[in-house]
Amino acid sequence: MTDRTAAPAIDFRGVTKSFRLPDGKTLTALTDTSLSVGKGEFVALLGPSGCGKSTLLRLVAGLEAPSSGAVAVEGRAPEELVKAHRLGIAFQEHALLPWLTVRQNIELPFRIAGRPVMRERVQGLINLVGLAGFEAARPKQLSGGMRQRVAIARSLVLEPEILLLDEPFGALDAVTRRQMNVELQRIWSESRISTLLVTHAVEEALFLADRVIVLSGRPGKVVRTLEVPFARPRHPDVMRTAQFHQLVDELTETLHPTDGAGH
Amino acid sequence: MSGERTQSALLGALGVALMLGAWEVIGQNRLVGMTWPPFSSVMAFLFDPSRQALFSRALTATLGSAGLGYLIGGLAGLAFAMLGQILPVLRPGTDRATAVIHAIPSIALAPIFIVLLSREAAPTALAALNAFFVFYVAGASGFASSSQTQRDLMAALGASGTKRFFHVDLPAAFPGIVSGMKLAVPAALIGAIIGEWFGAPRGLGILIVNAMQNFQIPLLWSVVVLAATTSLVLFSAMTLLERIVHERYR
Amino acid sequence: MSQSATANGPARPSLVGRIGRTLLNFWGIALILVLWEALVVLNDFNVIVMPRPWAVFADIWANPGLYLQNFMQTAWVAMGGLVLGMIAGTTIAVLAWSSRILNGLLTPIGLIFSSIPVVAMIPVLARMLGYGTETVLAIVAILSFFPFFVFTGSGLKLLPAGSADLFSVFGAKKHQRLFHLALPSALPNWTVALRLASANAILGAMVAEFLMGTSGLGQMLHAASQAFNTERALGASVCATIGSVTLFVLVVSLEARVRERWT
Repeated sequence: MTDRTAAPAIDFRGVTKSFRLPDGKTLTALTDTSLSVGKGEFVALLGPSGCGKSTLLRLVAGLEAPSSGAVAVEGRAPEELVKAHRLGIAFQEHALLPWLTVRQNIELPFRIAGRPVMRERVQGLINLVGLAGFEAARPKQLSGGMRQRVAIARSLVLEPEILLLDEPFGALDAVTRRQMNVELQRIWSESRISTLLVTHAVEEALFLADRVIVLSGRPGKVVRTLEVPFARPRHPDVMRTAQFHQLVDELTETLHPTDGAGH
Repeated sequence: MSGERTQSALLGALGVALMLGAWEVIGQNRLVGMTWPPFSSVMAFLFDPSRQALFSRALTATLGSAGLGYLIGGLAGLAFAMLGQILPVLRPGTDRATAVIHAIPSIALAPIFIVLLSREAAPTALAALNAFFVFYVAGASGFASSSQTQRDLMAALGASGTKRFFHVDLPAAFPGIVSGMKLAVPAALIGAIIGEWFGAPRGLGILIVNAMQNFQIPLLWSVVVLAATTSLVLFSAMTLLERIVHERYR
Repeated sequence: MSQSATANGPARPSLVGRIGRTLLNFWGIALILVLWEALVVLNDFNVIVMPRPWAVFADIWANPGLYLQNFMQTAWVAMGGLVLGMIAGTTIAVLAWSSRILNGLLTPIGLIFSSIPVVAMIPVLARMLGYGTETVLAIVAILSFFPFFVFTGSGLKLLPAGSADLFSVFGAKKHQRLFHLALPSALPNWTVALRLASANAILGAMVAEFLMGTSGLGQMLHAASQAFNTERALGASVCATIGSVTLFVLVVSLEARVRERWT
């Protein structure tokens, strides 16, 4: 269960991140951002494209270092978690290795971590994400949704303490995307890992997360935090309730104010 | 990022400088024997005013045959690739024929071309043959790279094979053809030089083979350096062109 | 014709259909032979100037041992040189991959050598290393080195989208990145290098043998043309062509298989 009184799983304190562009200019992706993700909490970061939400996730993964401020994961530097192989991640580009089968792709984190492959765990995850029977298939033989299922199974295989999801369903069609959201909700409920999801889809954020954080456009900063009131486990019917629709409208308004300031 | 680019340019320049330095040191100390002259003496030989006429005459001859062959071979290669694209039944045949033509040793063809054409024309013919292959491969894969959607669109508009070729396949192939134009430069030069080995009246190739047979080591190295530099300059110019075209067409 | 054959049933094409397909595949090669024949007949060339195609094949048929011996000599040296160049080129590309400094130093040298007519340098190498079989081997190795170095080098950087980040988050060490990610990613490009190098290996060996008059098909061509035995000179060339095309076809099918499995 969510426990925000203990040390947070992810903690951002006044983080600013700027990049030097090739033409010498500086691009500020995030300014003075503070937020945290509690242990066992599912937080969705919602924002327009280019608002620095992916940068935020990359900072948690230790793929970037903050220009100022501090990022702590489980109270320590992100690099330490990476070295201990306790971080799971899935990207919009599924990043599956095309020369490996489904099973081999899911086993890869074991091999990189230098641990013996736990066959039952791998098979269990394959079953969990609904890919039983496709163990020997190669990524190119799979549909987009199935590839993302493999990527999610791979992100969970080492039982990570933190799960990072960077627009994992961004490249999928609307129907598959909704289906994958329902699946992810079910999968996540089995493990309740502290999770940070980056997305620009309001319904996805509301359906999956305990808390939605809205970032503004460039440079990104937190403009709104919303506690999602729906109890778990969530049935897909939640998405048909009036309350859900009202929250979707509210968040959409925050994201793209109708007075035209956004465009 | 721009700092990184400067850094890699500097490293690259350092790499080339180290290579030339090693060449000089090996030559000065005769580490490989008398047949490896130092860089400085090759340069001195190459830029000696008394030999300028010799070198420029040879270079002009080789560039002339390579250039003419490049044009003939390029046009023929593209035409052959076009044939396979407009009439797809012919494509497997054109592919195989081109692969076989490319696999015939130039040194076997050179004497034949001398008989059929002339000593002067053999380098041009071999340069054309080498360029033909590169242009055929670039053209054939380029023509095939137009997207299925574009082709479907042309079919829906009721375009004939020829129309489709000129409106869709040809523009789609352009970037590939420009890359072929670049790769065909050293290929055409090799053809011209080998053609000249067989007794052309002038050219870099005949200088190379004579220098080799007569142990004229500084001359041999100078001519090879001249051929390499010429190829490098033309290749770089083509790379620039390629970059411009790729930016516009992709 | 082939259309009517497929209409009758794809399992067993009729004889007419098979002949039709063969004609479609080999019309270009047949045309070359017909043109050669026509050229000789129309110009009324004698056998010293240019024999007819069948005379050349008859000479090969009548002297199988002689041709085979020279062919094997050239083929072995070409293969040996190809393998040496492959090992050296791939190894140095991996070294350049592992060090940014080495990469910066070597990349332009590789590019320079792949943009100049290296075959024109054979005389320099012949003079330097002395006339002999070892020199032929070295020449083929040097000819093969540059494609392997350049194409493997660029292939090591052609990683599947997102996979570099994924390996960072896995906490992968350098050797794991090399063996699990960079080398498999480079394989398709590496087979391109193999195709380019093998197309030139036998021809390069033959040019070197011809210039130095040492051994193999090149020497056979040299000696035969000195003796005005044009049939034999062309026979040696036909053998080289057949060897070259066979090698090329093998490598192309390998390349297709790698592409099939790898992408």
